[in-house]
Amino acid sequence: MLLKVENLQAKIDEKQILKGLNLEVKAGEVHAIMGPNGAGKSTLASVLAGRDDYEVTAGTVDFDGEDLLELAPDERARKGLFLAFQYPVEIPGVSNKLFMQTALNGVRAEQGLPPLDMFDFDEYAKDKIELLDMRADLLERSVNVGFSGGEKKRNDIFQMALLAPKLCILDETDSGLDIDALGLVANGINTLRSPDRGFIVVTHYQRLLNYIKPDHVHVLYNGQIIKSGGFELVHELEEFGYDGIVQKHEQAQ
Amino acid sequence: MSKKINRKVSPMAQQAVDHYIEQSLLLNAAFPNDKVIAGRQRAQVLFAEQAFPTLRDEDWQYTKLTGFVQNRFESLGKHSLKLDDLHTFLPPYAVTKIVFVDGWFSEELSDDLSVLPNGVSFESTRDVFEVPGATDQLFGREDLINKTPFGVLNSLLMADGYYLQISANTLLETPIFVLYIQSLDNQMATVRNHVVLEENAEMTLVERFVSLSADESFKGCANVVTEMDIAKSARMKQIVVQEQNHSSYYFNNQFIFQDDQSTFNTFYTGLGSLISRHQNHLFMNGEHIENRQNSACFGRGQQTMDSRTNTQHNQVWGKSQQLHKYVLDDSAVGVFNGMIRVDRLAQKTDGQMDNKNLLLSAKAKVDCKPQLEIYADDVKCSHGSATGQIDQDQIFYLQARGILRAKAIEMITQSFLMEPAEDITNGNIRQWIMATLADQLNAKDSL
Ligand SMILES: Nc1ncnc2c1ncn2[C@@H]1O[C@H](COP(=O)(O)OP(=O)(O)OP(=O)(O)O)[C@@H](O)[C@H]1O
Ligand SMILES: [Mg+2]
Repeated sequence: MLLKVENLQAKIDEKQILKGLNLEVKAGEVHAIMGPNGAGKSTLASVLAGRDDYEVTAGTVDFDGEDLLELAPDERARKGLFLAFQYPVEIPGVSNKLFMQTALNGVRAEQGLPPLDMFDFDEYAKDKIELLDMRADLLERSVNVGFSGGEKKRNDIFQMALLAPKLCILDETDSGLDIDALGLVANGINTLRSPDRGFIVVTHYQRLLNYIKPDHVHVLYNGQIIKSGGFELVHELEEFGYDGIVQKHEQAQ
Repeated sequence: MSKKINRKVSPMAQQAVDHYIEQSLLLNAAFPNDKVIAGRQRAQVLFAEQAFPTLRDEDWQYTKLTGFVQNRFESLGKHSLKLDDLHTFLPPYAVTKIVFVDGWFSEELSDDLSVLPNGVSFESTRDVFEVPGATDQLFGREDLINKTPFGVLNSLLMADGYYLQISANTLLETPIFVLYIQSLDNQMATVRNHVVLEENAEMTLVERFVSLSADESFKGCANVVTEMDIAKSARMKQIVVQEQNHSSYYFNNQFIFQDDQSTFNTFYTGLGSLISRHQNHLFMNGEHIENRQNSACFGRGQQTMDSRTNTQHNQVWGKSQQLHKYVLDDSAVGVFNGMIRVDRLAQKTDGQMDNKNLLLSAKAKVDCKPQLEIYADDVKCSHGSATGQIDQDQIFYLQARGILRAKAIEMITQSFLMEPAEDITNGNIRQWIMATLADQLNAKDSL
């Protein structure tokens, strides 16, 4: 098992957001998480990535045999957990390239590999740049500064391709992308799919899912996963919305 | 010896005033030149009246001199420095080196200045004292200089410095590097410089202030006044690196006079000293003048980092740009004061002044006062000032990519502080400055 989340409960500023969430992701699987605004999707992603604004009040998370909640955010990343942010952050003055070189060398150090210098890094990054059709100047510029919304998202997926993580969590990476960029990002994700890598894709739209065909689809509502199914669940949601599922869930309670 | 005092001076400050007047008399005896003595005497009258600024002086509210006034720095120490002592202070690129030890020009430690390129002349201020008539140039702007408290103290204890002249159309390629080193404990280095760039001349001046010992029990004070005349179409680039040890003091007043179409680019970095104050008084006295004044200061411990500019647009089509950045840790205090004054004659002025500060600790603070005074109607001026902590979202974003928290903070801080240095056009100097800034920022963890 790559990721095993059991009864996860988390709060922020005294507000309980995750209320006993369960989720299992095996290597090679792609899971989609859908759910209404404010359900707690980004909260789940942030808690998994280690953001300390959130307080985990109960539950366990096992990541590839380790207690994830005990690890600092940078350790989680070095051990292969990657979060593509719903809102990638701008960092003025820090060049995108130096940022990624430093990040990659951190991950390599964890794997016992020697660091790459600027020259080796350029070589290593070449096909990832092509894969995502990244404009050359985006690498030279400050991290995300002056990037369009779509460029920021693409930059995050580019980082994902560079770091080659074990578990990729994508938080609404598809929102704000034009059709071409969506295709590129989906293609990037599909290229990265492999038997030893897992994905959690948070999205509101069928469009991206049509490209990447998730193995499992979950509905997150009010801090819990209230329904799981296969790809057909996407069509059901697209047609009937969340109402039916939510009502059924509340009746069962 | 007590003089008439017009304002309330504490007994401690009065003792200090008496002490420095006594030092001035010692200098008079050691270098008996009538004109210089007359200049010191005029300063003596002012100094006895004004003493040191106190917290009641608006300009000195945040730069507290209470501790400074307890010192009794001396002027006439005899150093025994050798060339070997200097290596660590020299930059890794070709320069013409000029060395001042405890405020005195050292011919032995400086490069051979008799072989300067054509059109470049250098003389120590002490030598200028000896040239009959030449002393006039030292006192031409005495009234202006003596308007600032440390200008008065400088006039009182004026002993050495340099007079550097670049003649018309001379393009001096190799930077002049002036090293001011404190080698003896408890010395006040009083330096009076004058740089003259004649029409269409160009030069790069790098000045570095250091202490031989980092030991906190060793302290000194540098008090510098530099006049710069930048003639028509001349181009002056200046870098000032202040890295004195953390118990020393630094006061620098620069008076810069620009003529038509000239450019002046200055970069100051304040890293050392317990109290430091760097001031540009910039007079844009011609048309189509351009200048840039940037600074990057990093304070920690109990340091006070004070940097000021007073930019006077006096003619049409002047363009002035400024970026001042401070990073403050521990209980450090940052003070920025910038004034852009636009005369009614100075139409089409473009004046930009930006100040940004990063506080790394809850006890660090900064006082910033950007000011505009505009008397012309067709101008484009702006000033901004922003102070904040490191953005937690930025730290988390880097951490989420596997970068250690400490490294993330270092990367963000470094890039913040280095921005003003990006305008240094000489690549060697820029890299040297950036490496110096990185060293200082990283050294904070080892304290
Ligand atoms: N600092 C906070 N204090 C109180 N409530 C918060 C705080 N931060 C987030 N929340 C709340 O937590 C809930 C879950 O937010 P979250 O961002 O996880 O939702 P989401 O499912 O990602 O929504 P969306 O689809 O709009 O991105 C929301 O109701 C939000 O208002
Ligand atoms: Mg969200």
